[in-house]
Order: sequence, then structure tokens, then C-alpha cells
Amino acid sequence: MHTALVIGAGFTGLGTAIKLRESGIEDLVILERADRVGGTWRDATYPGAACDIPSQLYSFSFAKNPGWSRTYSPSAEIHAHIEELAERFDLVKDIRFNTEVTRLAFDKKEAHWVVSAGRRKFYARTVVVASGPLSDASLPGIRGIEDYQGAKILSARWDHDYDFAGKNVAVIGTGASAVQIIPELVKTAGSVKVFQRTAGWVMPRVDFETPAVAKAVFARVPAAQQAARTALFLAHEAAATGLVWDTPVTSLIQQAGKLHLRLTVKDKWLRRQLTPDFRAGCKRMLMSSDYYPALQQDNCKLITWPIATITPGGIQTSDGLQHEVDAIVFATGYDVHLEGPPYPVTGLDGQSLQDEWSGHPQAYKSASAHGYPNLFFTCGPNSGPGHNSLLVYVQGQIEYAVAGIRTIVEQDLRWLDVKKEVQDAYNVSMQKRLRSTTWMSGCASWYLTADGFNASMYPGFATQYLRQMQDFRIRDYEVSSAAAQRLWNASSTEPGRDLTAV
Amino acid sequence: MTPTKRMDMDEMLQKIKDRQWALADIDWTAPGAETISDEFRPKLKAFMADLCWIENVGARGFAAMAKKAPTPTIAEIYRYFHAEEQRHANAELALMKRWGMLEDGEVPEPSVNIRMAIEWLDTYADDMPLSVLGTVIPMLEVALDGALLKFLLEEVHDPVCHQVFEKINNDESRHIAVDFEVLDLIGHAKARKLAIDFVANVATPGLIIGALMYVPLLNRMRNNLVGMGLQPEKLYRAMERFEKLGNRGEFTHRVPLFQVLRVHAAMVVDPKHPYHLVANTMVKVSEYYPRALFRPIPTWFKELTHEPTTKGVKKGMNAA
Repeated sequence: MHTALVIGAGFTGLGTAIKLRESGIEDLVILERADRVGGTWRDATYPGAACDIPSQLYSFSFAKNPGWSRTYSPSAEIHAHIEELAERFDLVKDIRFNTEVTRLAFDKKEAHWVVSAGRRKFYARTVVVASGPLSDASLPGIRGIEDYQGAKILSARWDHDYDFAGKNVAVIGTGASAVQIIPELVKTAGSVKVFQRTAGWVMPRVDFETPAVAKAVFARVPAAQQAARTALFLAHEAAATGLVWDTPVTSLIQQAGKLHLRLTVKDKWLRRQLTPDFRAGCKRMLMSSDYYPALQQDNCKLITWPIATITPGGIQTSDGLQHEVDAIVFATGYDVHLEGPPYPVTGLDGQSLQDEWSGHPQAYKSASAHGYPNLFFTCGPNSGPGHNSLLVYVQGQIEYAVAGIRTIVEQDLRWLDVKKEVQDAYNVSMQKRLRSTTWMSGCASWYLTADGFNASMYPGFATQYLRQMQDFRIRDYEVSSAAAQRLWNASSTEPGRDLTAV
Repeated sequence: MTPTKRMDMDEMLQKIKDRQWALADIDWTAPGAETISDEFRPKLKAFMADLCWIENVGARGFAAMAKKAPTPTIAEIYRYFHAEEQRHANAELALMKRWGMLEDGEVPEPSVNIRMAIEWLDTYADDMPLSVLGTVIPMLEVALDGALLKFLLEEVHDPVCHQVFEKINNDESRHIAVDFEVLDLIGHAKARKLAIDFVANVATPGLIIGALMYVPLLNRMRNNLVGMGLQPEKLYRAMERFEKLGNRGEFTHRVPLFQVLRVHAAMVVDPKHPYHLVANTMVKVSEYYPRALFRPIPTWFKELTHEPTTKGVKKGMNAA
């Protein structure tokens, strides 16, 4: 049995393992479904893939990379950095590759988690779910998709064998991946038709090559790199006043977005088509300086008519036309698991997490769910940022999970289960605070469940989030002491009775 | 009055999605094009050109409505209606092509009144409140579409034309049903809000210019139809339908602009009304409107095409 089991060897899983080791927990195992580390950044290899938060901030403060080549590093470089982390911190030996978790069940009697991966079983006192919110993707359920005879390419699972040179291509979707893919496709494809349903807010992305001197300074003076990171962090924090909360600053951000559009798109009608009709921040902000110019290239066209159906030869739009294309790129995003991990999780009394989270997922500080002891979530309910680096938030979640696991180990606990009333009170406060945010200003987004419940975003500054994650309070949890249980079992006529909260 | 049952907009949206059709569904080379006589062709060409542009103008109206829709579902419905009006215009262009009215690459010239309507839409439509757009659009749909389509089906005996207009009519009946449902919803608003919306807009350049654009556009169509032998009563009957459909709604009568358009319709349907002197003068005057004053034709106006299938990207006129 392991002290800790981590699911996923992406940025988050490896970061968790590094911090667990650092806190003295050596007995850990990482389960990874693929044959390499890297998670989302291993899989996101579409042309133009890059982070849209500056790399200095899109990394862990405890495992910096002084050598980022650009302000916004491309996906291959981010993936190489993750691989380098695994090497640098000697984590590979603890990773079980090709091991996809299929079930997670808490064994109350033995007070440990049984983690199934197909026929294999792993046992661990504690589990950290680090399988990521954007790890799965599938073709969207558009009418007629199964009849299409051309190449179907999913942005999150790019087909590198397909040669786009000279081909007539359709791109469905205009979100974060699409604005990176389209400028690249336009360079090689014969034609690119972009099918847009909702226009997003696009901000210019000022992307520079990192000067050699800056890399050298960062490598020799870590404090300088930390200072750069802090400056970026504070600048992003300031943006929360307009992107998290719906305020006059939101309107200013919109004006900046409209100015960007005005300066880069000449045609009035195209500008109208590209003008969002929701408050900035309500959906994910898009960062690109080459998306608008790409749309205006001679071989590119934006189509805003609804898609009536996909046909064997292409796409039929509601204006009655058939667009014949050789390939369709589905830049339609990820299967975001708002309702829990994509495998069954059963808790203390055999209850199902998927059932409990169906509709309105809730957790305490995004990390613990009542009834699922010794289980720590990363990117859990209400943990998402709309204005800052996801990895800053993840770092807070890792610290919290490590604090919890250390408490279990050091205090010799059978389990630690967040109190229901504590979790409930936390969520009442979350939902109250969410009311004044941009995410609840009336647009439909992947941040919300089908009935409009926000179980994904954290309504506050990253600083607030980090402060709550640094404060692990055992009084918020019901505990079952291993020593007390041993004593009871030895002296009682009812050995084995659960002594939770004793 | 018994309360009317509200339309289920989600159901309507699903119905719209289920009933999409394409130009490629029609065999444009099927026999029947020869039924158009050489004598009738030039008149029909002028008529079809206006009709096709009116669909396009209606489409732009729905694009403006989508921004003002009271619910996301209605916004999505308007997004489809915008596209469907465009589809109708494309199909009408395809009919013109079939009847030998268009040379390769030719797009019919919009009349001066259509150009005015385009300019008005491009300048003011997005700023008009729903209570204005939601009243004017049904009027255009019922009066113009209704009368024009009826006329076509009576005068033209090409089976392909009938096949196309059966599809168009089915779409239009859904448009009109939603139009009047929304008009009724608008009427349900507080009287104070309706009054403010009306008073605030009645004196704006947008609405005044809109009226100056609308009056000759309508009379020009009326005159064209009469010139082609249509009984003007058919147009009038269509206009009366606007009032009839509006009166079916529980709250529609409370919309001030509905009342204005109703009264206006009553003047239009009376051929002896002095209104026609004014309106026809406006048609004549508009003919002298200096073309140089028009701004360049907006790109949305250049999206029409008679080609059912497109491959690659063509920019400019007839782009697809």
C-alpha cells in the first residue's frame, strides 16, 4: 500500500509528486494512462498550440524554467519542460505508464483507497486526483457528422499525418484553440472556411522572443525571475477587477477589445460579425494578434450562418449552401468534467461521486468532498481562474493536498473527511459571491452546467484563493484516529466499530 | 379575452433545426423553365430582383433582432431566420439564373429604394429597440413577402418555382408565427416602458429616416405589382393580415408602433387615400436621389449567390 497515489502525470500530477517528496512523503505512485508524461501539453500538438498566459507565470514557482524561449511558449516547449521536471526531480521511477484509472473506491474497513486500472489494483492511504480538466476531447454531436467522407481532425488530438497543403479546409469553432490553429492553417491550406457560432473577445497577444540576456540573468539570479513572475502575477490580479467581477473595468476591457478589432479589421460587417455580444470575461478571453489578420487573408473566410448539417462532402449552412471541403478541423474544445472525474468514484458509504455531483458539483475549497475521505482534488469545483494562471491555482491546490496528506501521516489518522456543514457553508458563500461575476452575466459557457450553475470558477483574486489554500484547518474535518481505533479494537466487545469524530 | 397559449420557443427552435433545406435539394435543371415567356421575362426579372433584395433586407433585420432578443433561445431562432432569409434570396437568385435572367457573375441591380433600405439598416437597425424592430419586421414579412409570393405562384407556372416557394412559404409561416408571438411579448411589457421606447425613438433620425425609406419602398412595390397585372387588393389583403394577426395576440395592441403601422396599413389599402399622392411623389423623388451619395454597398449585401455548392474561398461579389 502506498502513502499517496497521484492520478495523472501532467503538470499537476508531477507538481504534486515534487511537493509530496519535498515534505518527506517518499512512498508514492503516479498512474498515467499514456506512455509519456505531459498531460494536456503532450496531447495538444495542433499547429500554433501555445499557452495564453505568459510562461513565466504558466509554470510552478518551485520549479521554474529560466530558459523559456518566448513570452508565450509553444506547446512543444511546455511539454519538454514537463518532461524535464520529471527527470530533474527523479519522478519517472514512480510513474506507472499505460495505466488508466477505471475506478476509485474507498475501503472503509481498511481505511484506504482501492484504485482500479483495468484488472490491476493499487492501494493507497491517500489519493490526489490530478487528471486535469482538459484531458479528454471528442467529436461534437453535430448533425450528419458520421456521414462526412473527408478527414475529421480534432484540435486536441491533431493528426500530423494529414497534409493540409493546398486543401480546402473547414474549421468549426472559434475558441482558444481555433484562434491559434487558423493563422497557421491559412499559411498552408488552399482555403480555410471558419464556422463561428459565437464571437469571443480577442485581445492582442504581445509575444516576444526572450532576450538571451534575460535568460542568463534568470538562470543566475533566481530572485530576478521571481520578481518578473511577481510583476506578471500582480498585473493579472489587477485584471480580476474587470474579468472576474462585472464592473466598469469590464467595460474598459471591452473597449480595448473593440479597439483591437477596429484597428485590425477594415470591413464594418466583418467587425460586426466578430463583435461579441456578452460581457468580457463571461467566456474565456482569447489572446491572439494574428487571428483577425488571418481571417482577412484571401484564402480565408468567416462564416457565421448556423451549420444546418454536415454532409458527406462538407458542411451545409442555413443560408442553403453546401461548402465542399477536404477536411474539417473540430476546434470544439474539450469534454470538461464538471461532474467529477471520468471514472466512477465511490466514497465512505459506497455512495457515488458522479451521482452526488450530477448537476451541481460541490467541494470544500475545491479540494475535499464530504464522504470521500483522504481524497484531494486538483482543478476541483470552483477552482478555475478567469484572469490568472491556472498553474498558480494548481500550486495552491497542491499545497493544500500535501498539508492534508501530511496531517494524515503525522497524526496517524485512518481518515480525514471534510464536515458536511463546513462544505455546505463554503458553497453557500461561493454561490453568493459568484452572483456579481462576469461568468454569471448571462452568456452560455463551458464554465456553467446545463442549468446555468457555476461549479467551475473561483469568484475572487488568486491571492484570496491561495490564502485559503495555505490554511489547512483540521477542525474543518471529521477525523478517524488509527491509534484510537487500535485501542478500541483491543479493548472493546465491538471491535471494528467506526470511531469517526471520536 | 381568454389568455393565449404561449409558444414553446425551445420546441420551435428544434423544429427550425429539423426543417433546414439547401439549394442543392432542388434540381435546377428540371423542365419548366420554358414556361416563362420572352415577353414576361424582363418584368419578372425586375420583380425577382426586388424580391430577392427584400429577402436580403429582411435578413439584415433579423440580424439586428438577434442582438435584442429577450431570451437566448429567441436570439438563436433569429440567427436561423437571418440565415433562412438569406437562403430564400439565394434560391430566388437561383431561379433567376434558371430562367436565363442572369449572365455569368451577374447580380441583379438593387433599386434606389432598396439601396436606401440597406443604408438605413446598416446605420440604424442595430440601435433600434426590440419594440421597433419587432413591429416593423412582421409588417415587412406579412405585407411584402405574403403578397409577392402569392403573386408569383399565380403568375408563374414553372414547377421548380412552386417547389422552391413551397419551401420558402413553410419557412415564412414559422417566421410569422414567431414574429407575432414576440410582438405579443413586447406588448406584455409595462405600458410605461412601451411609451418610453416609443417616444424616445419616434423623434430619432433613425425612425424618421426609416419611415421616409419605408413609404416609397412599399409604394414602389405596389406600383410594380400593379404594372405587372397584379390586383393591388392582394397586397392590401396581405397588409390587412398584419392587423388580423396582431389582433390575435393578447397584448400586441398595446405596442404603440403596431397601432401606427396598422393605421398606416389602412391608408395604404385605400387606393383613393391622399396618402398615395404623397407616397408616389416620394417614389418619384427618390429616383432623383444622387447615387453618389450612397456609401459603398456593405459586404453582407454581397454574400448572395445562386451556386448551391461552393468550394474554396471567393472574396467580393457573390462570395461564398
